Order: sequence, then C-alpha cells, then structure tokens
Amino acid sequence: MSTLPAIDRSSRFKTMRREVGRALGALVIALLVAFVVVLLTSKAPFEALNVLLTQPLSRPRTIGLWIDDIAKLTVTGLAFSLVFQARQFAMGVQGQVYIGALAATYVALSPLGASWAGIPLGIAAAMLAGAFYGFIPGIAKAKLGANEIVSSLMLNYIAIELCNYLVRANLPKPQAGVLTTNDFPDSAVFPTLVANTRIDLSIIFALVAVVLVWFALYRTSWGLKLRLVGHNARFAEYSGIKATFIMVSAMTASGALGGLLGSMFVQGQTYGKLTVLFEGGLAFEGILVAIVARSRPLAVPIVAIFYAYLRQGAQLMNIRTDVPAEVIGIVTAIIILLVSSSYSLNFITRLFRRGPAASAAPAAAGGAAK
Amino acid sequence: MALLEAIGIGKTYPGGVVANDGVNLVIEPGEVHAVVGENGAGKSTLMKILFGIEQPNAGTLLLDGKPVKFANPREAIDAGIGMVFQHFSLVPSFSVYENVVLGSEPKAGIRLDRHKAIAEVEALSEKFRLKVDPLPPVRTLPVGQQQRVEILKALYRNARILILDEPTAVLAPQEVQELFVAIRSLVAQGKTVIFIAHKLPEVLEISDSITVMRQGKTVGQVKTREVTEKSLAAMMVGREVSLRVERKATDQSERVAAVTGLRVVNARGTEVVAGLDLNVHAGEIVGLVGVEGNGQAETLEAITGLRSIAGGDIQVAGRNVSSMSVLERRGLGLASIPEDRIAEGLATGASVAENLVATRLNDPRYVRSGLLDLKAIRANAQKLIERFSIRVGGPSSAVGTLSGGNMQKVVVARELSEQPKLLLVNQPTRGVDLGATQFIWRTITDARDAGAAVLLSSADLSELLALSDRLIVLYRGKIVAAFINQPDLSPETLGAYMLGLSTQTSEEMQVALK
Repeated sequence: MSTLPAIDRSSRFKTMRREVGRALGALVIALLVAFVVVLLTSKAPFEALNVLLTQPLSRPRTIGLWIDDIAKLTVTGLAFSLVFQARQFAMGVQGQVYIGALAATYVALSPLGASWAGIPLGIAAAMLAGAFYGFIPGIAKAKLGANEIVSSLMLNYIAIELCNYLVRANLPKPQAGVLTTNDFPDSAVFPTLVANTRIDLSIIFALVAVVLVWFALYRTSWGLKLRLVGHNARFAEYSGIKATFIMVSAMTASGALGGLLGSMFVQGQTYGKLTVLFEGGLAFEGILVAIVARSRPLAVPIVAIFYAYLRQGAQLMNIRTDVPAEVIGIVTAIIILLVSSSYSLNFITRLFRRGPAASAAPAAAGGAAK
Repeated sequence: MALLEAIGIGKTYPGGVVANDGVNLVIEPGEVHAVVGENGAGKSTLMKILFGIEQPNAGTLLLDGKPVKFANPREAIDAGIGMVFQHFSLVPSFSVYENVVLGSEPKAGIRLDRHKAIAEVEALSEKFRLKVDPLPPVRTLPVGQQQRVEILKALYRNARILILDEPTAVLAPQEVQELFVAIRSLVAQGKTVIFIAHKLPEVLEISDSITVMRQGKTVGQVKTREVTEKSLAAMMVGREVSLRVERKATDQSERVAAVTGLRVVNARGTEVVAGLDLNVHAGEIVGLVGVEGNGQAETLEAITGLRSIAGGDIQVAGRNVSSMSVLERRGLGLASIPEDRIAEGLATGASVAENLVATRLNDPRYVRSGLLDLKAIRANAQKLIERFSIRVGGPSSAVGTLSGGNMQKVVVARELSEQPKLLLVNQPTRGVDLGATQFIWRTITDARDAGAAVLLSSADLSELLALSDRLIVLYRGKIVAAFINQPDLSPETLGAYMLGLSTQTSEEMQVALK
C-alpha cells in the first residue's frame, strides 16, 4: 500500500510531461509550417521570421502589447475552459465581450464613472451583463433543447450589432460620424502598472481569474459536479447531480468571464473608450488556448504566453515585412488540428521517442519564449 | 492436415498491451472448435487476426498448410473465412436478403437482380437450416434471427470457416438451441466453425475440441469429451473456482419496496412497462428474468428516478418516491449498480476518488459550505480501494485506466460502501472475469444477508439462478411468471416464459409474489 501514492504521483507527472510534450510538439510543427509558408510568400524570408520570433521583445511598448494580449487571451481561454469542462460547446464569449463592454461603457460615461467607483462598478456591470448573456443560451438549452452552439453564435451577432447601433445612435461621441464614444474619465480607466506601456490592471485581473476558476473547478463541490457532468452527463444524473443546473451555471459563470474581458477591453489602456468592432476576433482565439491547455485553468496562462507572443510577432511581421498576417491564421489552424486530433498526437510522441526531434522541441520553444 | 493453423501468434497493441503472446491454434476441417477464456484473455484479438482486422507482430497463419497473410477482412473473406461479431453489422432498414447480398449482389445488367437474390438467400437458408424470411427489414427481427442473417451473409460469401464471437450472449435458451441445430447442420455439410464463448455448459454441448486461453497465451487444446466443466474452469482461471454462493437465512418480513401498477412509456411512445406489481423485502434478492428489452431496465430506472413514469406508484421504505429526485431517493437508502458501467456508472475521465464520492456530494463528511474536503475524499477512496481490493495506482488515477473488473469494483464499492436498504442491480457481471464475478456475487449476497432488499436484473440466467430468492419473469413489460428459487428450477423452464410461449395463471404466480 505504501508504494501506491508514489506510483500515483509519478503517473500524474508522466501525464503532465506528455501533455506538455504534445503542446510543444504542436508548436514546433506549427512553426515549421509557418517557416515554409513564409519561404513561399516572402522575398526576405529570414528577416520576416526574425521579426516574428524576436520583435515582440524589441521595445517596452511591444512587450506591453504582448502582456496585454496574454491577459486577454487568458481570460477568454478561461471562459472557454469552463464551458468545455462541462462539455458545453457554447461559443458565446465574443457576444459576452460586447455586452460586457457596453455595460462598462454606460457606467464609465455616467456620473458614477467619474468617481472612485468607476472601475469596480464598471467591472461588476460588465460581468453581470456577460453572465446574463451566457445564461440565455444555457436556459434555452435546458428548457427548450436549443443547441448551444447555434444559439450562442447567433447571440454573438446580436451583441456586435447592438454595440454598433448604440455607439452610432445613443452613446455620447466626440463628434458626429466617428465610430467611437467619448474617452472615459481617467477614474474609469485601469491605471498602468508600467509607465508608457499598455500593461495595466488587466493582467492582475487575469491572474486572479485563473486562481478563482481553478479553485472553483477543483476545490468546490460545484466544480466537481461540473467536471463530472462534462465527463459523463448520464453518470452525473445517475449520481443525483442536477446536470441541467450545472450546465446553465457553467455557461453563466463563463459569461461573467466574457463580460470581464469586455471591461478589460474598453476600460483598459488599449482603448479607454468604446469603439465598434473593438474586439478584433480575439475572443474566439480563447478556443485555441483552451484546447491546447486541455481546459486546465492553470495551463491557460502558460499557453496564452506562447500564443500571445506568436500573435504579436505575426502582427509585427505584417507591419514590418511583406508577409501578410494571414500566415499566422494558417499557423493557428495547424496548432488546432495537431492538438485536437489524437492521430497527430500519437504521431508527435512517436517522433519524440525516435530521438532527433526530441532535442529540437525545447530549443524551439525556448526560442519562442526568449 | 489441419485446415487452419496459427503458430506463435504475438500481438502487442500500441501502448504496450500484450494481447497475444505465442498463441497456437489448430483447427481441423469439419469440427466445431471452441476458444474459451476469461475477458481479456486475448480471444477477440486472436479472432481479429484470423479475420484480418488486426495484423500480428509475430507468428504465422497456415491455411490448408500454406502460409497466409490477411491485410484486411476482404482478403480473409476471399480465402473463405467468415465472422459474425457480437455486435451485428447489419443495415436495420434494409430487408434480410438485401443485407445478405450487400456488396456482392447478383446483377442483371447494372441493376440488382432481386429475384435471383431472394432465391439465393432462400436456398441458403433452406440448405443450412437457418430459417429466416428474406423480405422483412432487419430491424423488425428478433436478435436471434438477426444473428442468422449475419451467418447467412458469411455463407453467401462462400465461407468455409465461420467464426462466431460469443454468439449466445444475446440469446434466450431456446434460441441457443436453435443456433446449435444450425451449427450442427453447418458442420454436417462440411463447414468448420470457430466458436468463442465463456459459458462453459454451452461450450461442452456444442464443440468437438476446445482451446483455452489465459492472459494472452494458449493454456492448452483439449478434446471436449475429455474435460468437465470444473476442469475447464480451472484451466481458464488457473486455479479451482467455486461458482456457488453461500447465503444466510434472513428475516424477509419487512417490505422495503412496493411497486404498484407501474407503467413506463419510452421516447417512441411504446409502453415498455405495462402495469407492474412487485414487492421486494429486506433480506431477499428478487431476480428479474427476461430477454433483454422486455422492461427490466426501464423498471429499475423508474425506481432509481432516472426515468419518468406514466402511471402507478413506487414506495421505498414506506414513502412514496414517485416524485422524488434521484438524490432524495438515494437519501432513503437506495443504491444502484447500473447496466453499463462506462455509459452510466462511472466518469471514466475522472479520478477513482472523485467517482467514489460522486453520489455523496451533499454529505457533510465530504462537502462543507460548498467546499470539497479533499483529505476526506482521498481517505474514503483509500479505504474503499483496500476494502474492495481494487487494483489501481491510487485514488487520483483516472478510472478509465482500470480493467473492466476493477471498474465494476469501483461502482460496487461506491454503492455498497454503506449498507443500502434497497439495492438495484442490472447486469452486475457483464464483461467481468470469473475472479471479479465471484467477488461481486459475494458482495451483493453480503448486502442481502445484512438486510438489504435487492432487485437484480441479468441476461445471464445462471447468475439469476445462483443469486435470487425469488424470480419474476417479464415479457413485454408484464409479469408472466413468478417462481421461488429452488434447485430444480431450470433455465429451460424460465426460457419458455421469457419467450412468451407460456404464461402462468395468477394463482400460480401468487405463490411467489408475496
């Protein structure tokens, strides 16, 4: 009996190593493909790759962009992890971001926004609105059997257009015709942590959110029930767990995170105001982060670090070289394919066991993280 | 000369599971050759190799003395080997003859020659005494007939060697006899049959020779007339086994569960339980007998609270539970071992500890103000792993990494860690090896001896006869017979009622329906 816990621990360690190996393997292969694509599309491929791999660290400002991306990708990654762990394929984070941002904007531009309450109230309003927006597809599924993928995607469009309309028609603007609201008062904008960069309170909120989601999933009975529903909903019902309640509450909690992300966008240093289509598709990239992190909240920020780096590198490559940013879309697609298909996973682990590729993985990963 | 010979077959699956290790098999022409062994002994892998689904890592196959290699089932079929799987591969909406000829249709120009196809199927079924009407869609046939369609499919493709993978697992006793008649007629006409099984009496009845497998190796090949059930069981398990269960005399006066006029309607609107009256008393095991799909599973689910009822009343421990949630019913002392442990009884991705505590998430020992007491959960798992001797790395290993028998032990451990008042059991030992079967039977009997009322459903009649105090036969959701279990009660007697061939009068039933 005494040796059992040791076996237990070592097997857990092995699983972790395997998972990390998988993620890194996916990254290496994705970079290789990116390299090939750049070779084919660029006149100066090595310069382009150099930009992709090193430029995000070139200046404090670009480092700030990277950190800001990490914060946002972490939060959307957490939101998706939460619903994925309950095996609900709700795709509504984007809509929750817009609804949350709208709520935060109304608070920030009200008299309250100019007081000390601008930040906490803005965040609270955003999270509440996001939670409500996550609750809708949940309750629609529970009561009406509506497919959550379809309903949440449709709600995304509604949120985007609603935001669009309110910015044009309702919210105060500096001048007619612009597609942004007035700047928020300073008291409603997250203060920077490092001067002259975009590193603001967002990263703190993101880290707090990681700990909270981890705690909720692994230390509370709600989290255990949620995971059991995700593993096997029939078993959960059989055990006496109310699977529909868990499902709806998971989607609601995930919505609150989506709302938080909305507030991070508009109240953060990036904007400090609401503009149409501010989110730029980032919310959906949480799917990738969650998949690579296997919906583990503690792995989400780590994946976000790597992915945000690639994302920034790609944007800089787009600006400074002749390679289009779409290349990174291809890389993203490859990562998703590699990590989510079990065939490729076995293929990668076999590759590692054979030897030569094993040394390439840490080296390349180190290169990306440098 | 042997017809088919396997020499030193080795098969290691990716992931390092050794399924076959130096397996030898010699099949003589015109014999019925049984391959027996516990679950996980490597029988299925060997058959998949013979049929070309899996490729061996080592060893050779000889057909008519010449070495052969099958890269896929197509090549095996062309060489005259046919296989009938446990799970049929039929198109439910196609007619019988369409299923038989599918893929090798007789053509008239580019059209399917229906008349020829029907005639050929009729001729085949006549020749081999596999009676089946070629015209109705397969989904309307009972399981036994579907199996015949599968056999006809193989024969239509000129199989000389027919592999039957646990063919009797899904059949009622009478259907088994019909299958055996067909097998004998196949052999009489020069076919060779390989028969995979784990029910020893059937093996002894039908086979000419037997190959015994254990843990991926062949233990030996014997002539059927030279062995007994006991010696065969000992060869399979590697030690003497007793399939008897000792039971105590118990006080069976207290009525724990009372079901009156229960009606259950399934999603398609069919009435699957049609007015069931049933009592279960403390200290007794009541066996629900019936061919699968005659309302046993639905009855158990209705009592557990997983299926809504269309009428009637369910009382547990004197309280009407009809409108209670699963958790409230469990609170009254109801425990349940479900039919399919992977689909229903476990979360295979979650850890052993989490599975063991899943039904107690409102118990203050494990959850206080919404927070998990991880120490207590782990200690509970540690305790149950020892008490039920579950072979596992530790409490945080995923349940999915366990063998079938150990998974079932996790379910049993969770449900019986505290003495239940009413225990519902459905197929407790399906796909479980002999060692674990003994253990699970013992555990259920212990719960009964300690005063639990047990309602047991099983497709295995020998299990029902070994464990039950009373037996109730269901046919189309109604009780058609009831017996007090006595040594002279035979599977054949039950079988006649299971197939709806006869029905007891209510006076006859009354004796055993207390």
